Amino acid sequence: MAQTDGSAMTNSGDEAKRGGSPHPPREERPRRESSLASLAQNDSARRGGQDCPPRDKVSARDAASLQAEGLTFAYTPGEPVLAGLSMTAPAGRLTAVLGPNGSGKTTLLKVLVGLLSPSAGQVRLSGRPLASYRRADLARRLAYVPQETLAAVGFTVLETVLLGRSPHIGALGFESDADWRAARDALRLTETDRFAERDLADLSGGERQRVIVARALAQQPDAVLLDEPTSFLDIRHQHGIYGLLRHLVSDRGKTVVTVSHDLSLASAYADAVVLLARGEVAAAGTPQEVIRPEVLEPVYETPIQVRTDETTGRPYVLPRPPGSRKTTYG
Amino acid sequence: MSPRPLTPARYVASLGAWAALWLTVAAVAVVVGGRLWTWDSRAQLADVLWLRLEWVATASAVGASLALAGLAMQALLRNPLAEPYILGVSGGAGLAYVLGSLFLSIAYAPRLAVAGALVTVALVYAIARRRGRLEPYTLLLAGVILNAFYAAGIMLVTAVVRPEQRGEIAVWMMGNIGAFGPQWWLIAEVAVQAVGAAILFAFLAKGFNLVAVGEDTAGALGVRVHRLRVVTFVAASLLAGTSVALAGPIGFVGLICPHLLRMLLGPDHRRLVPAALFFGAAFLVLADLAACLWEGATNRSVPVGVLTAMCGGPFFIYLLRTRWRRRMEVR
Repeated sequence: MAQTDGSAMTNSGDEAKRGGSPHPPREERPRRESSLASLAQNDSARRGGQDCPPRDKVSARDAASLQAEGLTFAYTPGEPVLAGLSMTAPAGRLTAVLGPNGSGKTTLLKVLVGLLSPSAGQVRLSGRPLASYRRADLARRLAYVPQETLAAVGFTVLETVLLGRSPHIGALGFESDADWRAARDALRLTETDRFAERDLADLSGGERQRVIVARALAQQPDAVLLDEPTSFLDIRHQHGIYGLLRHLVSDRGKTVVTVSHDLSLASAYADAVVLLARGEVAAAGTPQEVIRPEVLEPVYETPIQVRTDETTGRPYVLPRPPGSRKTTYG
Repeated sequence: MSPRPLTPARYVASLGAWAALWLTVAAVAVVVGGRLWTWDSRAQLADVLWLRLEWVATASAVGASLALAGLAMQALLRNPLAEPYILGVSGGAGLAYVLGSLFLSIAYAPRLAVAGALVTVALVYAIARRRGRLEPYTLLLAGVILNAFYAAGIMLVTAVVRPEQRGEIAVWMMGNIGAFGPQWWLIAEVAVQAVGAAILFAFLAKGFNLVAVGEDTAGALGVRVHRLRVVTFVAASLLAGTSVALAGPIGFVGLICPHLLRMLLGPDHRRLVPAALFFGAAFLVLADLAACLWEGATNRSVPVGVLTAMCGGPFFIYLLRTRWRRRMEVR
């Protein structure tokens, strides 16, 4: 399967067009439709092809696109971490943000959720500037899974997940039945319900990571942004998390943006890939467009070998130890 | 074990239960007393009870203030060992109070104590904050250093003042309740402040829970972390500063009370804030009663601050070995 059409950067319009979003599409790219649909089919085939309802069943009303326009940000003046970065995370799609250490991935994510304010440029959520949302409204629409591990202050798993309901409950903080239901749903979806009553401190790294994802789901957001959600996980749990993200996108119509260091994993699950280098977008598009040696090698400054998974058509990356033969393109 | 859902009915019921506990302890303290065992006439008895009432009111207001300040600082600094006394906030308030009462006027001294507390909180926070994160060890070290600095400042003052003032400063610095004559106006101020802070913190409790778990998590869940910190630190400085002005620096109440309550109620600040108000009050009333009984039995006065520090030191070590270590390992 070869895809060379359109970039993933500019297709926020198709959700709005079908779902009647109040915000007019910025740029129409009807031909994206077919390629993304085939990606979804692809995904469905990979997972056995049974649990993927047609895209039309998913209400696009809830989905939210995120657009970064010329973002500039510096922690210390004169050393910009983001240098005029523009990208789009289309609504109802899984976008992976890749890039070497220090390329600005985490900072970009923090700006996208509004934790950091850019010195120039802006972020639009569903077409509306992020700055025009009230903090609490934003928290109801965007969930963020940070890299920081949650401090174990004595909350149980269930209580931790209930914290995700905070933007939905009043000042004194009494949870309603709906809040408890949302928390229980999130536990079930992440398969953390069997240790719901245990202290967060007693869980393994992988279990705790799933609890943090559950907390983000309990928030019932339109978009979920995750910062290296699989960094502590073994291969089974890595696929568990990405499978869950896929489910959120394909079956629940959520927008997902995930930062990752694992090029192959991102390539296997993402609809769109954004590759960062030194605070700018080095490449963006489908995995097939971006996961290529000639794109990756200059960014990572190391020899990289790319093959294609025959069953999914997705590229994957192999390490090339020093002294091995010149790159072969899979 | 997960606690049952917090409902408004349960909230009010627990509030009532804690208030009842405090009232009972306060009543027992007034009746049992400690200091002033004998009286000759009915009129004298009334005086004795009135005096005891003043001590109980002082201990309640100060205990509630310190417990609330400790609870809020532990949540917002994300450090289970944070407390006004340990972080040098009480010391800063103490030095400012002593300087103010000696060189300016006793009328300004409580305000200066609050200023001293505020400056110290800001200093500790600025020292421990690096790249937008609070370093837990640096935070405690900052407190240790500031405490040493303030102690040296007080010693310097003690060295240069008239000999008869030395004793006064020494007694005050130990943390004493009712040693400075009736100050109903200041007691009322501290009490009103404590109740006001408890109401404020009850509305911020949701944010306390989130910040304690993680700053970015809290921010992404709609908490304005910086604003919450500023509001809470100013409130905690007011609580600690005026408490010091009323009864001297009394240590470890802000450490012991919140942690005992956490063991009992879990980590949820929505439950902890109202409990801290009444439990802190009851705790210091009991501690002062113990000090009074000791004084009655031995005819030697024991400042309550010495008593709480003697209990608090071992408790600090216990926390360092258990909660702190566990929390560090989890990171």
